[in-house]
Amino acid sequence: MGTFKTENPGNAPVWVNTDNCKACDLCVSVCPSGVLGMKYEKTSTLGAMISIDHPEACIGCHECELSCPDFAIYVAESKDLKAIGMSFAKLTDDSKERQAKVIANNYMSLDNK
Amino acid sequence: MAFNYDQYLRIEKMPTLWCWGCGDGVILKSTIRAIHKMGWDMNDVCIISGIGCSGRFSSYIDCNTIHTTHGRTIAYATGVKLSNPKINVIVVAGDGDSLAIGGNHTIHGCRRNINLNFILINNFIYGLTNSQTSPTTPQGMWTVTQKHGNIDPTFNACNLAIGAGASFVARESMIDPKKLEKILVKGFEHKGFSFMDIMSNCHINLGRKNKMLSAMENLSWIDSITMPVKKYNELPEEEKLNYFPTGVLRQVEQEEYTEMYAKIIASHRDNGPKITQDDFAKKI
Repeated sequence: MGTFKTENPGNAPVWVNTDNCKACDLCVSVCPSGVLGMKYEKTSTLGAMISIDHPEACIGCHECELSCPDFAIYVAESKDLKAIGMSFAKLTDDSKERQAKVIANNYMSLDNK
Repeated sequence: MAFNYDQYLRIEKMPTLWCWGCGDGVILKSTIRAIHKMGWDMNDVCIISGIGCSGRFSSYIDCNTIHTTHGRTIAYATGVKLSNPKINVIVVAGDGDSLAIGGNHTIHGCRRNINLNFILINNFIYGLTNSQTSPTTPQGMWTVTQKHGNIDPTFNACNLAIGAGASFVARESMIDPKKLEKILVKGFEHKGFSFMDIMSNCHINLGRKNKMLSAMENLSWIDSITMPVKKYNELPEEEKLNYFPTGVLRQVEQEEYTEMYAKIIASHRDNGPKITQDDFAKKI
C-alpha cells in the first residue's frame, strides 16, 4: 500500500513506518499502557527511533495513531483483530506503572539498559 | 488494516517538511478523518492555504488545492465558492496569515457568512520565519523581535470572529485529536462561515525561547491556558482572563451568501422572482 504501510504487516495490534518517523516522542507520551518507547538510532536525525516494546499490552485506544503528525504509527481496527481471533488487552496496573517509568526515563525504552 | 490515509494524501510528498512533533501534522490528519466522516468526494473538495508553515497543508492533501499569496486565502476562497457553490471549500491559514496581514479578509469573510470552512492554525508565533512576534503571541513571551518579552496584548481570534458575525465559531487544541475531529465535523456540517481556531504547538520556534523545548512541554502549556467552555462560563470574571474557552462558542443559523447571490443572479436573468426593496428585512 504505497509508502504508508497502512496494511497490517501481520497480526500486529500496532505497527510503525520507520521511514516517516521523526522521533518526536508524542506517541510515547500519549500511550496509556507503556506499549511504546524510543530506542537509540544513529541514522535518525534526532538520534532515536520509535520501537514497539509491548504490543501485547495495547488497549486499542488509537491515541498514538491520532497524535502522530507524520503518519508513522498505525493501530489495527478491533473488528479486524477479532476476525483473526485476537483482541486488545485491558488496561492493567502493570502497564500503567510501565508507562510512568517510560515517561520518567525521558520517553526512552526500558529495554535499552 | 488501519484507517487508509493513502487515498487522501499525495504520498510522494511524504514525509512532511514540518518539524518533529509539529501540530500541523495532527491537524492534517484530523482534517482527513473529518473529510472521510463527511463522505465528501475528493473531486468536490478544495483546500486553500496561504503562506507560512500552515501553507504546506495544501501540498499534502490529494484534492483541488490552491497555495495562495500571503493573507489572501479568504479572497481566493470566496472566488472559488461563488463560482461553484457545490465545492466544499476548506481554508487553512496560520495566525500571522489570517490575523495580521489577512485580518481584513478574515473579518469580511465572517461578516458575509459565506459557506467556507476556515481552519486557523494558531501556534502563537511566526514559525516559518524563525519566531517573530505574531498577533497571538502571549504577553511576556520572548521572541526574536521582542527580546525582553512581548508587550503587545494577545489577540482573541474567536471574539473577533463572533464580533464580525461568523455563524459558527469554535476553538480547540490539537492535544485531543478525537475532540478536534468532532469539532471539525461540526464545522464542516454547518452552513455558513465556520471559524475554527485550532491551537497548535511550535516548540521549535516559540518553545526554544520560552523554556518549552519539547512538543510535550509546549502542549502542557497550551493545556494550562485552555478550558472547556462550560467550565469556563462558571468562572468568576477576573479568572476568565487567564483562560481560552474551548468547544463550540457560537452556532446560529443565518442566511448564506452564495444562496442570496444566486437569487440576485436569477432576478437579473429574469428567470427567478423579482426582488423588491421590501424583500430585504432590515436587520441591524
